[in-house]
Amino acid sequence: MNHSEMHLTTDEIELWSLGLLGAQRSFHLSDCSLCRDIADRERKVILELVQLPRFAPTAGFADRVMAQVKVPTPSGDWQPN
Amino acid sequence: MAWAKAGHEAAFRELVRRYERPIFSLLYRMVRDRALAEDLAQETFIKVLNGIKSYRPEFKFSSWIFKIANNAAIDHLRKKSLDTLSLDGSPSAETPEQMRATSLQLGDKSETPLDEVESRELGTAIEKAISRLRPEYRSCILLRHVEGYSYEEIAESLELPLGTVKTYIHRARNELRVYLEDRRE
Repeated sequence: MNHSEMHLTTDEIELWSLGLLGAQRSFHLSDCSLCRDIADRERKVILELVQLPRFAPTAGFADRVMAQVKVPTPSGDWQPN
Repeated sequence: MAWAKAGHEAAFRELVRRYERPIFSLLYRMVRDRALAEDLAQETFIKVLNGIKSYRPEFKFSSWIFKIANNAAIDHLRKKSLDTLSLDGSPSAETPEQMRATSLQLGDKSETPLDEVESRELGTAIEKAISRLRPEYRSCILLRHVEGYSYEEIAESLELPLGTVKTYIHRARNELRVYLEDRRE
């Protein structure tokens, strides 16, 4: 069995789902319905996960944190990059 | 980071600005309670910023802060035993009677505006599926696929062996897939 005939590993299926698997290994999916089925189902879950939103805390969160932090140095004219 | 280590207020604020959403999102999905997640996020930032002098730059800052946040969530879940409580009752319940006895009674109190926000934000099938995962699986899968960290970064952040992280993520995806497919059928 040559490399392109070997079934995809779990790691390779994840890479494929994220669009990061090389063309040579991805080609295996066109010939192997078993891997294709597993990969399609895995991709559905991964796509749902990567599309999840990030939530924001309520307004004033940073101020509430800073009120409880010891700040030894005034910031002067420091600017974030 | 050097400015933050030197204790500059603006640098502290910048760190809060960069990490408040990722840290809050992780904690919210871990504990599924907005007010509690915000308390734990606040606790995390205060710990990090007050202890910034002990930060070792050979580690990524994100790994450090996620470790502290995750520990806060896991400690809370252990203390309150919320990790074994679900809408359907304890996972160890074997009969319908046991499931009913250990399930959350949602009808017991009227829904507040905050409850409505939570049910809108965390009410989708995938969010419900995530909530059913063991907390250890949940943090790994969220760091991998929501925050986009590598397996190595997750292992460093959660202080777990690399193989364990891979196993947790693989099992978590399997459980999510089964749950989501069951719902579609």
